[in-house]
Amino acid sequence: MKRRTFLQLGTIIAASAVLDGCRSKNEQLIPYLIPPDEGVTPGKGTYYASSCNACPAGCGILVRVSEGRAKKIEGNPDHPINRGKLCARGQAIVQELYHPDRVPHPLKRNGPRGSGAFTRISWQEGIGLLADKLKALQREQNTNGLALLTPHLRGTLAELTSRFMRTFGSTNHVSYELLTPDLLRAAARRSFGHPSLPYYDIAETRYLLSFGADFVENHLSPVKYGSAFGQMRQGRDTVRGHFTYVGGRMSLTAASADRWMPAKPGSEGALALGMARLILAESLYDSGALAANGLEAKKLLAALDRYDLPRVTQLSGLPQGAIAEVAREFASTRPALALAGEMVAFQSNGPESVRAVHLLNLLVGSLNRPGGIYPDAGFPSGPENSFAELLALIETMHGGNVKVAMIHGDPLYSVPPATGFHDALAKVPFIVSFSSLLDDTALHADLVLPDHAALESWGDVIPVAGTREPVVGLMQPVVEPLFDTRQFPEVLLATAHELGGRMAAALPDESYLELLKGAIRKQAGLEAGVDFEATWVDLLQHGGSFKGKSSKLTGYRWGSDAPPPLPEDPDFAGDPKTYPFHLIVYPSTAFYDGRGAPYPWLQQLPDPMTTVVWGSWVEINPETAAELGIGFGDLVEVTSPQGTLRLPAVVYPGIRPDMVAVPLGQGHGGMGRYAQGQGVNPLALVARQGTKQQPAWNATRVRITRISGKGELVTAGHPQGSLRSELVEI
Amino acid sequence: MEKMTSQYRWGMVVDLDRCTGCGACVVACQAENNVAICGKKEISEGRNMHWLRIERFWVGKYPDVRARFLPVLCQHCQDAPCEPVCPVYASYHNPDGLNGQVYNRCVGTRYCGNNCPYAVRVFNFYNHEWPKPLDNQLSPDMTVRTRGVMEKCTFCVQRIRRAKEDAKSENRAIRDGEIQPACAQTCPTDALVFGNMADPRSRVAILSRSPRRFRLLEHLGTHPSIYYLKGGGREHV
Amino acid sequence: MSEPILPAAKSSSQLNDEMLSSLRTPTWSWYALALFLGAVVAWGLYAFGYMLTTDMSCTGLNRPVMWGVYIVNFVFWIGLSHSGTMVSAILRLSRANWRRPILRAAEAMTVFTVAVGGLFPLIHLGRNWVFFYLIPYPNQRGLWPNFRSALLWDATAIFTYIIGSSLFLYLGMLPDLAVARDRSSGWRFKLYSVLAMGWRGAAREWAIFHQASTLMAALIIPVAVSVHSIVAWDFAVTVIPGWHSTIFPPYFVIGAIHSGVAAVITLMIIIRRVFHLEDYLTPLHFDNMGKLLLVIALLWSYAYFVEVQTTWYAHEPIEWEVFSFMADKYAFLLLFMIFANSVLPIVALCFKRLRRSIAVMLVVSVLINVGMFIERFLIIVPSLSHKNMPFVWGTYRPTWVELSVTAGAFAGFALMYTLFAKCFPMVAVTDVRELEAQKSVVRLSRTRLQSSAEKE
Repeated sequence: MKRRTFLQLGTIIAASAVLDGCRSKNEQLIPYLIPPDEGVTPGKGTYYASSCNACPAGCGILVRVSEGRAKKIEGNPDHPINRGKLCARGQAIVQELYHPDRVPHPLKRNGPRGSGAFTRISWQEGIGLLADKLKALQREQNTNGLALLTPHLRGTLAELTSRFMRTFGSTNHVSYELLTPDLLRAAARRSFGHPSLPYYDIAETRYLLSFGADFVENHLSPVKYGSAFGQMRQGRDTVRGHFTYVGGRMSLTAASADRWMPAKPGSEGALALGMARLILAESLYDSGALAANGLEAKKLLAALDRYDLPRVTQLSGLPQGAIAEVAREFASTRPALALAGEMVAFQSNGPESVRAVHLLNLLVGSLNRPGGIYPDAGFPSGPENSFAELLALIETMHGGNVKVAMIHGDPLYSVPPATGFHDALAKVPFIVSFSSLLDDTALHADLVLPDHAALESWGDVIPVAGTREPVVGLMQPVVEPLFDTRQFPEVLLATAHELGGRMAAALPDESYLELLKGAIRKQAGLEAGVDFEATWVDLLQHGGSFKGKSSKLTGYRWGSDAPPPLPEDPDFAGDPKTYPFHLIVYPSTAFYDGRGAPYPWLQQLPDPMTTVVWGSWVEINPETAAELGIGFGDLVEVTSPQGTLRLPAVVYPGIRPDMVAVPLGQGHGGMGRYAQGQGVNPLALVARQGTKQQPAWNATRVRITRISGKGELVTAGHPQGSLRSELVEI
Repeated sequence: MEKMTSQYRWGMVVDLDRCTGCGACVVACQAENNVAICGKKEISEGRNMHWLRIERFWVGKYPDVRARFLPVLCQHCQDAPCEPVCPVYASYHNPDGLNGQVYNRCVGTRYCGNNCPYAVRVFNFYNHEWPKPLDNQLSPDMTVRTRGVMEKCTFCVQRIRRAKEDAKSENRAIRDGEIQPACAQTCPTDALVFGNMADPRSRVAILSRSPRRFRLLEHLGTHPSIYYLKGGGREHV
Repeated sequence: MSEPILPAAKSSSQLNDEMLSSLRTPTWSWYALALFLGAVVAWGLYAFGYMLTTDMSCTGLNRPVMWGVYIVNFVFWIGLSHSGTMVSAILRLSRANWRRPILRAAEAMTVFTVAVGGLFPLIHLGRNWVFFYLIPYPNQRGLWPNFRSALLWDATAIFTYIIGSSLFLYLGMLPDLAVARDRSSGWRFKLYSVLAMGWRGAAREWAIFHQASTLMAALIIPVAVSVHSIVAWDFAVTVIPGWHSTIFPPYFVIGAIHSGVAAVITLMIIIRRVFHLEDYLTPLHFDNMGKLLLVIALLWSYAYFVEVQTTWYAHEPIEWEVFSFMADKYAFLLLFMIFANSVLPIVALCFKRLRRSIAVMLVVSVLINVGMFIERFLIIVPSLSHKNMPFVWGTYRPTWVELSVTAGAFAGFALMYTLFAKCFPMVAVTDVRELEAQKSVVRLSRTRLQSSAEKE
């Protein structure tokens, strides 16, 4: 179908969706005996534009709906982030809607926490219960006793939640995400004076140098950058972009690289500076760029004096020749682009290491240039250390000062136990969860007020990054709500209404849709006389507003007071003698930070690198495995100063011998039949480095012991056959 | 080779230099074609139902190790080994060059599955069910296959049919790029390109003439409709 | 021939008596055996029913090993069936007189093994209940089976073979049925009367009978050869490494005769023992069968060697991979198979003393059949396990369902044989008596005929 055709179709659908949104529909099964008057043809699909919220990238989607049921999710060709493409996670959210274990109605706990014993209650009762608790706080003048914990929210929902908390009088609103790009923002602020995430022009670059940025699977906007990567490789007639990846574990992104440099964890910043020093020393830098940023080559060289090649070689564990070669290639190929990602950021010296990469880009003149980096316009400013806020909240909770915790998301799963969150939450007398599946947090909640699935919800989805123009994607319900659930913001509005007084006055909207439309209307800045309804329908048809005003940020400039990046030596929890291996916990391609785990399609999707399905594993270098007597699939015990896990071993040729890696995303205590009991959650191993208030998930040391020969590892690929590429001649 | 009676010969090009192995195509295929959900036990028994798989090969030793990805789906061979061995014509060649599979006709000898050198045919060893309300996601365009039948990639023949009907009603030929199977549609890096090989100007035909082209297990003489373009790597810089 | 083929000095009624001893009233041990076999068959049927009503996940089959023990059974049983008819026909045509007492056992075996073997492709189907799609029956949809498929060749060949070998068995049994008729009463009399089709033993009848037997024998040999060639084509026409081999048809035929002759020997020993036919099945028979087996074992070994050797010589990577995999994972089975099929028979059967030892012959012949079953398994499973795409290599382990059905098949064959032995003469009475008659001048009607034996 041509794009035009289905947009035309979309017009009809979107319009009818708007008009019929609030009306209850005939739910009988016979309607096709009498043809429905909405032009529903059995077997004929219609497309609704919406947005994906499976990860912060915020891609545009089109949902094929047939006979009132969502069938398939495809990328929205108009959406500037993903241009009609979509990743595995995004396509699987139809299974969120039709998950057999969804919480179908509000629940009240009637057994011990975590037991999963709940009784059904009505919405009136549920909201009444929450409002009573809040009223009690108001009466006791202890409005700070309310805490709200959510993922990073953007757009109208962020506005609504903060208004709710502000008006109620609580400062305990923490947005926390495990894989937050906070540290990238913090680094950008230190280098450039503002916390904008970088926009990479990968498509146009000729030399891509990634320091632990896994842009194909999860870094910032994987579909966008994956697509750009394809362009970089084969999209131009005469140029094939070269790609070098730095990181101790060969990630999915690294697997596409031409050269893989397995640097020691935590040494990436030093490596970048070593390259920078070589580029400066050999005068391969772009002098114009240096001048424009107010830097002097000589001074910079002096500042980087410590990072001479032999020392960097020793720090990174890479061959000296390779480092020099990559540095020269990077400096002499224009445009060249260096990326710094989460694998670097989540080290103890993360932010400075990221800044070292900024410096590399600056040196070769790749700031604000085609094929280089620009400030991203997606969501220019955001939290720069929400982990510290979380730690503060945990402190408060420990002190017994939080009486009611409203939780959206699953922090019991995604906050490492080393922070003490689990104990702290246990001290909160009343926990409300808005999860649509009984996840770890919901299982511990006193009240579950189930949210709609994404495909039943209204909302605006602002991509975290991946665009140079502001983008507001819209979410619209594509099917009638399946169960007696309510959207999270609707619950907030209803609670405010119930509380009355100041709260009701501050949140007067009848519905979230109204609020959303108001916000969009304000953004659109319509002149008087223009019919907003028509604009609204138009926006819904296209999936959002993609022609926002250009951002004020025109480019990156090295801050006048920004010091040269000087990452300290990496700091690891655990004594190297007792715990000889570095532990890497990396986001799984299919599950991201764990939110993909309940969907069977993603469980069944073989992990691209290991081909493991339905489980978790620990990756061990073949040499190390042989030394420890560990075979493919053997059960091993991984012990860190923080905890112990048992999981099967995958002998993984693409990892440093002194490193082991465990994917994130599995090991849920709940989340429905498909996620429950599958694999383990490696966050149980993550230890903290002293009192640092910075997420350093990859700075823990572990030891490995073989337990038995049976690990219940299931791989889609034959372990030995996977080594025999010569038989298929590729 | 079969005499062509159609103006279309559907084919695909898989650019291994673009393919990152992310797996979006696998889920797209599963979503589009009502491919059964297989649990851990089922996959451990070698009974995964995916029509499209991404093979991952390790080449070399640390630190000079590379992982290579190879998306493998039905190659829609022009001389398909699966076709002549089916005793009931459940596996047949259609005029557009597709290897069709008639689920109703299949008796389950599994001969085609054996004889497919690419091992892309999957057999319903289990009687698959979709727990309610997950069955709502089943596409009405595709049969839900029962136990005991063989199934495989169809190049999303339902999309081809729809496009043909559209084209016929407008009295024109199908345009290049008008049809995209679910896998090619979603592929973030555009590694999969689908089109009419019989039209020398189509994108897929142009790409299939690339010097990087090769076909899988070409020495078997199956004449697949899928061309692969060799991936890059250090050796290609 | 230096020693007597027949025991001397037995009256004709004594001969008839002894040779038809199997038709006596069943003893309790016969009932016990039939009951036991019936129970095993019922268990096999239950296993099949279980598979039929649930799904095929209860088998060990998977991708890539989509064929398993069922097809092993199919090839094995069809292979076994060869002996019977082939041995019988060849010996008949070559006028080997020592053949006479073993004919019936061999021919009956053919019919029952084909019947059992022919069931396996149907058991093996994913949707057994639509098996009739394989039959070329006219229907309004104009659907027709695909005659390019080796499976349809199979169906045709097996159907032909089952008809041919049943006729062959029946034809040879005709005069015996008349003898049995004359000696029985009650329902048996009625049954034999119908089956004997009014055989009176007239000279014209005998003349026609001899013509027909020779004709059938001549016709059944090409059918038998082609049946197993066609079974071999199931494998040889594919592109699967390890299967795609031009030597498969002769190799399969030789293998089939190998297992068949061995099975005939095993059955001879059992029949001899159970029905006390020591006087009719003498060491001479075993000596001769042993010689035949030796020749076939040599042929088989040559064929096997050639198959491996050509693969080794060509060294096509994936084919060699299949052999390496087989030699690695199935090393024990492979060695056992070579020992049982080749080394043991060739060594043992070279010695006349061993050939005449019933115990040795029993061990050798049973082991050959075990070996041949393994050989079928090793042809089918390793090739499929390591096909062209190394990423989806797999393994196969039969489950209780498949093993139960196999056990049921063996029991079913034995049961049919047991029932047959109780109902029909197990030793070709007339054939034996004919030999006796040939030794003397025979009065036939008014003519005196010179016996052929004397001429020889």
